[in-house]
Amino acid sequence: MRRLLWPSVLLALVIVYPLLWSTPFQQRLGALVLLYAIAASAWNVVGGYAGQVSVGHVVFFGCGAYAAMGAYAHFGLSPLVGIPAGIVFAVAIAAVIGVPTLRLSGHYFSMATIAVAELIRLVVTNTDYLGAAVGLSGPTVSRNVFDFSFISALPYYYLFLVMLVVTLGITWWMTNSRMGFYLRAIKDSERAARSLGAPASRIKLHAFMLSAGLTSVAGALYALMFGLVDPESGLGILISVKILIMAALGGAGLLFGPLVGAAILVPLEEISNNKFGGQGAGLTFVVYGAIIVLIARFQPGGLLALAQRMWQRRRKRIAAANEGADHAA
Amino acid sequence: MSFVLVQVITGGLLLGAVYALFSSGLTLVWGMMNIVNFAHGDFVMLGMYVAFVVFTLFDAGPLVGAPLATVVLATLGVIVYFGLIRHIMKGPMLAQILGTFGLALLLRYSVFWWFGANFLSLPQNIVGGTFAVFGLRIEASRLLAGVVALFVTLGLHLLLTRTSLGSKMLAVAEDSTAAQLMGIRPDTMQAIAWAIAAGATGLAGALIATFFYIVPTVGETLGIVAFVTVSLGGFGSVPGALVAGLLIGVIESLSAYLIGAIYKDMVVYALFLSFLWFRPQGLMGKS
Amino acid sequence: MKFKQALGPFVGLLAVAAMSVAIAGGASAEDKVVKIGGIFPMSGNAASTGVHTKAALEVAMDIINNAHPELGNFPLAKNAGLAGLGGAKVEVVFADNQGSPATGQNQALRLITEEKVVAITGAYQSGITLTASAISEKYGIPFLTGESVAANLTERGFKWFFRTTPIATDFAKLYTEFLADMKAAGAKTDTVALVHDNTEYGTSVAGTITQTFKDKGFSLLDISYAVNATDVQSQVLQLKEKKPDVVLMISYTSDAILYAKTMQALDYKPPMLLADDAGYSDPSFIKAVGKLSQGAFNRSSWSVGPPGSATAIIADMYKKKSGDEMDDTAARQMQGFFVLCDAIDRAGSTDPAKIQAALKATDLKPDQLMMGYKGVKFDDKGQNILAAGVIIQLQDGENYVAVWPKGNAANAPVIPYKGW
Repeated sequence: MRRLLWPSVLLALVIVYPLLWSTPFQQRLGALVLLYAIAASAWNVVGGYAGQVSVGHVVFFGCGAYAAMGAYAHFGLSPLVGIPAGIVFAVAIAAVIGVPTLRLSGHYFSMATIAVAELIRLVVTNTDYLGAAVGLSGPTVSRNVFDFSFISALPYYYLFLVMLVVTLGITWWMTNSRMGFYLRAIKDSERAARSLGAPASRIKLHAFMLSAGLTSVAGALYALMFGLVDPESGLGILISVKILIMAALGGAGLLFGPLVGAAILVPLEEISNNKFGGQGAGLTFVVYGAIIVLIARFQPGGLLALAQRMWQRRRKRIAAANEGADHAA
Repeated sequence: MSFVLVQVITGGLLLGAVYALFSSGLTLVWGMMNIVNFAHGDFVMLGMYVAFVVFTLFDAGPLVGAPLATVVLATLGVIVYFGLIRHIMKGPMLAQILGTFGLALLLRYSVFWWFGANFLSLPQNIVGGTFAVFGLRIEASRLLAGVVALFVTLGLHLLLTRTSLGSKMLAVAEDSTAAQLMGIRPDTMQAIAWAIAAGATGLAGALIATFFYIVPTVGETLGIVAFVTVSLGGFGSVPGALVAGLLIGVIESLSAYLIGAIYKDMVVYALFLSFLWFRPQGLMGKS
Repeated sequence: MKFKQALGPFVGLLAVAAMSVAIAGGASAEDKVVKIGGIFPMSGNAASTGVHTKAALEVAMDIINNAHPELGNFPLAKNAGLAGLGGAKVEVVFADNQGSPATGQNQALRLITEEKVVAITGAYQSGITLTASAISEKYGIPFLTGESVAANLTERGFKWFFRTTPIATDFAKLYTEFLADMKAAGAKTDTVALVHDNTEYGTSVAGTITQTFKDKGFSLLDISYAVNATDVQSQVLQLKEKKPDVVLMISYTSDAILYAKTMQALDYKPPMLLADDAGYSDPSFIKAVGKLSQGAFNRSSWSVGPPGSATAIIADMYKKKSGDEMDDTAARQMQGFFVLCDAIDRAGSTDPAKIQAALKATDLKPDQLMMGYKGVKFDDKGQNILAAGVIIQLQDGENYVAVWPKGNAANAPVIPYKGW
């Protein structure tokens, strides 16, 4: 029972956060953290667990965002209807580009993903049906509860929380499944894994497709909250980089790594912007960049790994102290 | 072939040579040290600002600006190496992306803080004007950059393949433990490689400043071009970067002229992808 | 689930909680300061504009908050502070939109709910003005933009959104009238090349101009390019080949500079070059390539009057503050800000509904403005129906002068385009 105490406390805190920190801005910030945590956790499936560093993941994010807004803008439906459509598009794209791209090694793979994302962004920018440079907008006023267009960030917070739990749940299930077993082997040494009979290409592709689907949901949720998607905010390379560094900063390949990363980087950027943005002297990003550099330099493995190590050491010391006490007693 | 087409291709070659020029440093560190440097574009930007400062303070052109930019950036390269790079090198690729991304922001907005957000420019004809060769218009500044690109490519290539320093650097890149056993110090070699790459990038920036605008965010625009050039050419291949750069320059210019400027980048990316899928190691990369 | 794994959310939450405490609050209860939010690009590619706008608004704050008898009857200049609110000072809380609609929205939310601003102005990029004003509409806070020209901003049926600047359709009309006059004077103006980027600004303005021009019988050539180009040689070569009578540039600063340089390199001088503000008005552009673009026409609603006039004094104050000459974009935003403060003054209250009513009742005369508008009067969509512009020309490569219509002109227009 004691094992479940801390996790339950933490979960409770997460659940009541927007009720305790309840100004609109704090609630919205919390929702943003969760949103990016979903996207970063989705990326983690292929980037962290499978070790395939995709720097073009925003293309899946965009699928979800555009599908959600498109459902409203073109068909008058609730943006929620776009979510499954977005998943289909994302998984399809992942399947199509995954086959030739996953063959590429390390950095070539990353570059190819960038190229795919940029190519699609450029195509969308010049396609009127998808809003071209203006993008697509969602409902400005909610017609019914399914439009999910609220002033308050509270409903979004809880929707995102549910989705994050689902994403982490799927990730956890995957790591404990056969696929997860294969992925660990592949990440360690793909050649060895193949020689032992692991269907490496297929596994990697499945991880890629799973990650794509989850990322597209994050994109759709983003569009839901902001009510607008344009090529820069839905398909820009900066988003790929952001979710990637959140996973990296927290710890890629760890279940809660992306959440930690998001919980640190999102508020950091907001606060930096709030404090310095208005001055127009560029300090926002000097501070933000400097902190990222420091974290990367001192903890290249991510902060969660550091916290875990510190906790392990503490446990060992306690255990040693207890042992000493037992002996003394 | 119509005359305009020749002009387009000439322009494309000159453009491509510039791409190769500022990509050569990147391919060096990417191939040798496996470092994904997201701050590369901002190194180019710094080189441009050095040239600008040289002009503002001493009224001197690239003859002074370019060597100075090379030295300044090489020095900065050493600082960055010991301050950040050697630590994130030990980490996974992600740590490098994280670290260099943060570095990019830091460099970009430090320059923003110091110089402001205005667009700056060197005088139009600081390297002579445009001259006509058989009716083709060639900008002296771009031609200079193109010629220097060839020399830099040749120089780096010779350095790596014909000098003992170069073979030491390659040895460290190949297998740093074995190199250590042979008495080579990996840290020193990597710092040198990084410094050379940064210097080359600074040089590129100073030359580009003679015909391009100068603004803190220019690194964003140029950085992605460098990435595509380097991966198309094959990570680590300096001649590959040259060929890739020229190829991209020509394809870009031709597509812009024949199909339309909004499509030119799409064409480049599409061809780039198709090429990679076909030949996963780039034009001249190692298999 | 092991505890060490659950450490993750704990670390994360601590971080968020700590930071949230840091950012909460900041509610200042002084009633002697009226806070207005200003959302602009303070970083990224459009930062140059944002920084200039900030300088302009700081000059405006100085004029309003301190007594400036030398500005005569210019609204809000005479007294220190807002007379209608007992001398309360005006303070702009600046926020960086980082060139992103999402950030613009977040900042709008923060300004309204945390900083408790009574109104918002901004946001330069039309897409960001769109999303930020959606937030202020939801919260019932007036949003006034001085310079976002996209037509759809006033087509949303918003009740709290106001715009003082002329919009794309106004400019398109201005251009057709100007070109018709030039044609009457002997110039050839039948074929017009529209060189525009593929951003929201470029495509929407080009679209509006295309529609208006086609009706007037112009033959159009569309040359669109991707924004932040590394090279524009092919486009200039196309222009050189097609030889249009008029080249209409719709570009941001970076591309504008590149075009000017490339045109000189390729020895291309269109018979007439007309720019749609944006890049061509940026002081950086003039400093960098003004000497290569002599004779470029531009649109503007700002021009400096004789020494001692309100506009001359303002131009001077701005130059001292920012180091650059006042440009049309910053001036339009400054004018919008004055209109907003004038409304707050007339409302005599910081109650948003009263400010909204005062804005709706705005009726400023030309001599009360720093811009060359015919006045400020909002229709029920929130658009200033008296907004107007003139055509200016960069005749010496250093300063723009008004050249058309004749009544506002300081010099006569000079054609053909001189370039360098």
